[in-house]
Amino acid sequence: MKPAAAPSPWRDPVVLLAVPALLYLVLLYALPLLWLLAKSFVGADGLTLRPYVDFFADPFNWRVVWNTLGIALWVTLVCLVIGYPAAFALARAGAALQIAMLVAIILPLSVGVVVKSFAWQIVLRRDGVISQFLVGIGLWDEPQRLLFTETGLVLGAANIFLPFMILPIYSVVKLIDPRLLEAGATLGAAPLYRFVKIMLPLTLPGVVSGIAFVFSMSVSMYVIPSLLIGDRFQTLSTLTGRSFLFMRNEQLGSTTAVILLALAIGVVVGSSWLARRLGSSA
Amino acid sequence: MTIPTPADTVSVPAFLDVAGAEKAFGAATVLGGVDLGVAQGEFVSLLGPSGCGKTTLLRIVAGLLGVDRGTVRLDGKDITALPPHRRDVGVVFQNYALFPHLTVAENVAFGLKAHRRGAAEIREAVKRFLDLVHLADFADRSVRALSGGQQQRVAVARALAVRPKLLLLDEPFSALDRKLREAMQIDLRRLLRELGTTSVFVTHDQEEALTMSDRIAVMNRGAIEQLDTPEAIYRRPATAFALEFVGLSSRLAGTALGTENGLVHVDTAFGRLVAPGNFVKGAPVLLAVRPERIKVDAPGDFALTARLRDAVFQGSKVQLHFDTRAGDQLMVETADLPQGVPTPGTEMKLGWAVADTLLYPAP
Ligand SMILES: Nc1ncnc2c1ncn2[C@@H]1O[C@H](COP(=O)(O)OP(=O)(O)O)[C@@H](O)[C@H]1O
Ligand SMILES: [Mg+2]
Repeated sequence: MKPAAAPSPWRDPVVLLAVPALLYLVLLYALPLLWLLAKSFVGADGLTLRPYVDFFADPFNWRVVWNTLGIALWVTLVCLVIGYPAAFALARAGAALQIAMLVAIILPLSVGVVVKSFAWQIVLRRDGVISQFLVGIGLWDEPQRLLFTETGLVLGAANIFLPFMILPIYSVVKLIDPRLLEAGATLGAAPLYRFVKIMLPLTLPGVVSGIAFVFSMSVSMYVIPSLLIGDRFQTLSTLTGRSFLFMRNEQLGSTTAVILLALAIGVVVGSSWLARRLGSSA
Repeated sequence: MTIPTPADTVSVPAFLDVAGAEKAFGAATVLGGVDLGVAQGEFVSLLGPSGCGKTTLLRIVAGLLGVDRGTVRLDGKDITALPPHRRDVGVVFQNYALFPHLTVAENVAFGLKAHRRGAAEIREAVKRFLDLVHLADFADRSVRALSGGQQQRVAVARALAVRPKLLLLDEPFSALDRKLREAMQIDLRRLLRELGTTSVFVTHDQEEALTMSDRIAVMNRGAIEQLDTPEAIYRRPATAFALEFVGLSSRLAGTALGTENGLVHVDTAFGRLVAPGNFVKGAPVLLAVRPERIKVDAPGDFALTARLRDAVFQGSKVQLHFDTRAGDQLMVETADLPQGVPTPGTEMKLGWAVADTLLYPAP
């Protein structure tokens, strides 16, 4: 709680430690990416916005944009609803249980997206566990296939990205003094009021990072939709992939990539701005 | 204000009335049947060493912790089962627990908003309580940018702004340096007296308890050993623990030789001494005298001779330490040394009144 005098980053030599990482990113990532993306702005006769005009003139492409945004929003929402309480449980669990839960959350990350997507194919089949379970409890009259549906895609993707929602929220909750809620209680605040006025604003930074992680990963996912829903459902990133790999249309590919990047940056920046507004007015 | 005697607290139920509070964490009993009565407007300190259960008792009164057995009554109402937000009991936490995302004024306003008071009333109350703790100029600062003493005062203002029936303070000054602490003790005491707030104040600092309290509850190992005025606790500690924990004392181990007319004859390393009490022959006892009650080179009820080991000059008084058997302690505090401070090794005659002699079963 003590205010630390923040030294100017320009005078603090510790900042220089970031130089190798920055060089690495700029040389091997940013420059090639920029070069690739620049292609979308270069036509036969110099600079042009022609590819964008063409892209948005086609209603099919609008569908692709909405598909992309819709799926990413659903995945983010599901992760948030499941991940927020889970992060609390994790932060307040005893030492042994906490380690067990952390292992359970982090270990699956090492399995790889392809394997997990195939696993979800099995789960989502007409004779998969979900279908059998819902028929078993009488919610469904007959087995149905979730594989190759949007619902199946959201379920699978949310499962795979869930750790990226839980972990940032967990790391924030862990730092919150539990006394704060007790202080709220002794001031006469009922549980819901305490949650809304104390816990929510204090966890917001974690929520924003979680949303930024999950949204940017699910807006750009490629393997998961390819395996769980297939070609009939195109997103910006599957379209980008097809443009480069099958259609050999580099300009279309870089155009969709730029649009995807702009969307992701827009949502991430927008949500953190919104969170800061909410946080300061709570 | 009038200070209730223990007899009063028995006949009239106290404003805060904790009866038979028991609490165990697993196999460890932390509170073993605590009774505590606090009158309206009174300032009572819970004084005891670290780990004796002070915070646990406070949390039980606040409703942050349940009791295993016993009841808590406040203002005639049984609140044992009420959740903390419905008890009207304010708490100043040891680490203050200020809301880091809110400004000073918003922290103070928090409870008022939770109580759904009107905007005008909230504004007025926030201003009033920030004035009372001398923080009016800091209203719009972030609490993170405050010093420890300022944070502490925000915590007090925040707790008082909702005008709780009872204010609990858990070692609120323990993180502050000595000078600031003494100034704030006086300030806080005056503020609470002006508002007439009934308060229970936890501390392990006996000086703090003696300075501030109407009454002190001396706690040891999950039990209240004595609940009385500071003066009574200092003059007549009820137990050897209270004697040791509050103030300094000369202490001699001894064996009772028998009781006669309410006086016990005790065999000590300095010969036979007499103290009021009642012990059977052969009982091991502890005989004690407060150091300022011992006269030097003046005839008292008895005189003994001891050799000076050390003299500590303390400005207004001199502390004299004498050679004793291991485990005993013989010390004198006096302002009256016409011959000046004697040199170590000097043989001196010491005496005190029988009435000033305290006697306990050997601890
Ligand atoms: N939640 C808890 N779980 C287990 N033991 C506890 C808990 N809270 C307190 N204790 C134990 O109870 C005893 C009294 O603690 P506390 O009331 O905090 O003492 P004090 O405030 O007088 O220093 C200590 O031995 C402490 O370790
Ligand atoms: Mg404590």
